[in-house]
Amino acid sequence: MVLVLAIGDLHIPHRAADLPAKFKSMLVPGKIQHIICTGNLCIKEVHDYLKSLCPSLHITRGEYDEDSRYPETKTITIGQFKLGLCHGHQVVPWGDLDSLAMLQRQLDVDILVTGHTHQFKAYKHEAGVVINPGSATGAYSSVTYDVNPSFVLMDIDALRVVVYVYELIDGEVKVDKIDFKKTSTATI
Amino acid sequence: MRAKKRTTSLPAARMDHVPDSYTHICQTHTHTHTHTHTHTHNINTFTLCIQTLAKIRSNNMVNKRVPEWLNSSMWSSPATGSSPPPKSRSQSSPSHEDRIANHTSKSSTVTSVNASVNETRESPPSPGVTRTKSPSESVTEAPATITEVRDPLARSGSSDNEISPREDASRQAQLLEELSRKTINLGELQRLASLGIPDGPGIRSTVWKLLLAYLPRDKGLWPSELAKKRAQYKSFKEDLLKNPSEITRKMEESTSKNGEDKGLLSRSEIPEGEHPLSLGETSVWNQFFQDTEIIEQIDRDVKRTHPDMHFFSGDSASAKANQEALKNILIIYAKLNPGIRYVQGMNELLAPLFYVFKNDPNEDFVVNAEADTFFCFVELLSGCRDNFCKQLDNSVVGIRSTISRLSQLLKHHDEELWRHLELTTKVNPQFYAFRWITLLLTQEFNFADILHIWDTLLSDPEGPQETLLRVCCAMLILVRRRLLAGDFTANLKLLQSYPSTNIGHLLYVANKLRSHSTS
Repeated sequence: MVLVLAIGDLHIPHRAADLPAKFKSMLVPGKIQHIICTGNLCIKEVHDYLKSLCPSLHITRGEYDEDSRYPETKTITIGQFKLGLCHGHQVVPWGDLDSLAMLQRQLDVDILVTGHTHQFKAYKHEAGVVINPGSATGAYSSVTYDVNPSFVLMDIDALRVVVYVYELIDGEVKVDKIDFKKTSTATI
Repeated sequence: MRAKKRTTSLPAARMDHVPDSYTHICQTHTHTHTHTHTHTHNINTFTLCIQTLAKIRSNNMVNKRVPEWLNSSMWSSPATGSSPPPKSRSQSSPSHEDRIANHTSKSSTVTSVNASVNETRESPPSPGVTRTKSPSESVTEAPATITEVRDPLARSGSSDNEISPREDASRQAQLLEELSRKTINLGELQRLASLGIPDGPGIRSTVWKLLLAYLPRDKGLWPSELAKKRAQYKSFKEDLLKNPSEITRKMEESTSKNGEDKGLLSRSEIPEGEHPLSLGETSVWNQFFQDTEIIEQIDRDVKRTHPDMHFFSGDSASAKANQEALKNILIIYAKLNPGIRYVQGMNELLAPLFYVFKNDPNEDFVVNAEADTFFCFVELLSGCRDNFCKQLDNSVVGIRSTISRLSQLLKHHDEELWRHLELTTKVNPQFYAFRWITLLLTQEFNFADILHIWDTLLSDPEGPQETLLRVCCAMLILVRRRLLAGDFTANLKLLQSYPSTNIGHLLYVANKLRSHSTS
């Protein structure tokens, strides 16, 4: 039972001041085992804050990140699942599912987590699942107009993943979940 | 019975002599030397010290009573007594007994030379131990004479601490006979158990289960009761030891929509707002995270339980399995008792129970030792719960009140020692008695001795607390010489690492306190 937080596109301090208070109250240390961050934090203070939530922190570089040492892509194995991480501005057209599927096949992962569009998406295709946690601060995006703050928490339990989607809609936190299993031999 | 103080013409020994002779006496006491010449020497100095003490006491103008039997029992040498030692255990061979008998007779002649002698002292009773004679009888026989001098043992009533193997075997036979009956007489079993349970195979395990009301008295009901309890424990385990993922999986009825190969994954509602970051009080996840702390604490304590014993610690598979069982029991107890949860120290109370039950020769009992231990642990803690509850510390039932009861008990039986400890050296009983009482003495003695003490504690029909206080009081009285001679640091050091003693003797003295409580 591993809890993995997928979060990104905070754009602090340029486009947003901080995470929404309701999100902050929920994100306490000790509960989460891994954090995967799509990028665009942008400053070191945000990095430190995420590190305080969980020491196991994986970040990929977004185009506005101040720290240039983050990698472009990353792959992590958690339990039975391989997770891939990429910010997404490299994949053109932005947010196009077929192109992202290409990236997923390239990285050879079961779950690909990308960002940049500031919109939550969970999509399944033959090669695997693509998850976009959206923007945790609801920062302005040139791609979409209505941006709700959102992030994703994955509960990885053997061959089953439960994806909890946390969205801030009209000042209230709404939580939904998505369930999927991995068939043992092939990808999902 | 009050001891009248009397000044003597002998010169008072210097105070700095006193500690030496005290420790010397204590050493001989524990080593049970029986060379008469050294013994005579001891008696001289001892007598001197007693008289000095008497002088000091008499100077204080307050009645501080040291029971006469106490003085003599210091020598821990039982003539083979006619009165039964209710809580003694066989610790030595019969030859030791004979030596002690010689010891006694010799000492009595010496004391007659030194000071007031007890003319009416009864002669060392015959070796036959008659169980029926109660200790109180022998006490009342003791005549009231001046008692600065250590009284010969016979006066104290034959205190037979060491039982010969022959008697041990007979006790075992009695116990087995009692256990083999169809309906077990609990009172009789308690009485037999309070004398100490022999180490024969499986006896202690069964007797403890009966004493803790886990097994019913009617033997015919045992299979059904056991099956019921074990099934109950199994269901506890299934319910309480699961992680929230499994729980939420069971909560939802919907099947996973794995059918589609492509497309947006459908989002579904969360049942009752159960998500991992939920901060709600009733949330399964929130409770899980709160429990994680306790589980970690339990894990740490279990790993530290009895590190010297292979049964509990080490890398062997059995030790790990045992630790796992201990952890499960403690976790389930903590979850079922949200009022008290887990407190450090419960693992120490659990360890002897599990050890005894796991070492039962009966296969069925061994396999189910975890379930059996759980219920017996619950029963044991039901008496001691209040000691672990922080809020009750200052209340009537809390640990502070229990400690003050111990203090009062000590004052009642040995006021001089009480005064010295609490007022002169200011050793607050909380410093040592807290651990003694809450952990039922598991940290003070070695494991085998703990089992013997627990035989007595568990066999008390009113629950272990009363007997425990008496045993603690006896522990203090047995080292009174050293305590009286020591200052704060020395006394505290002594009491916090209590020296190993003859357990049979300790329990005997504790029982004597019971009979003395009304005098």
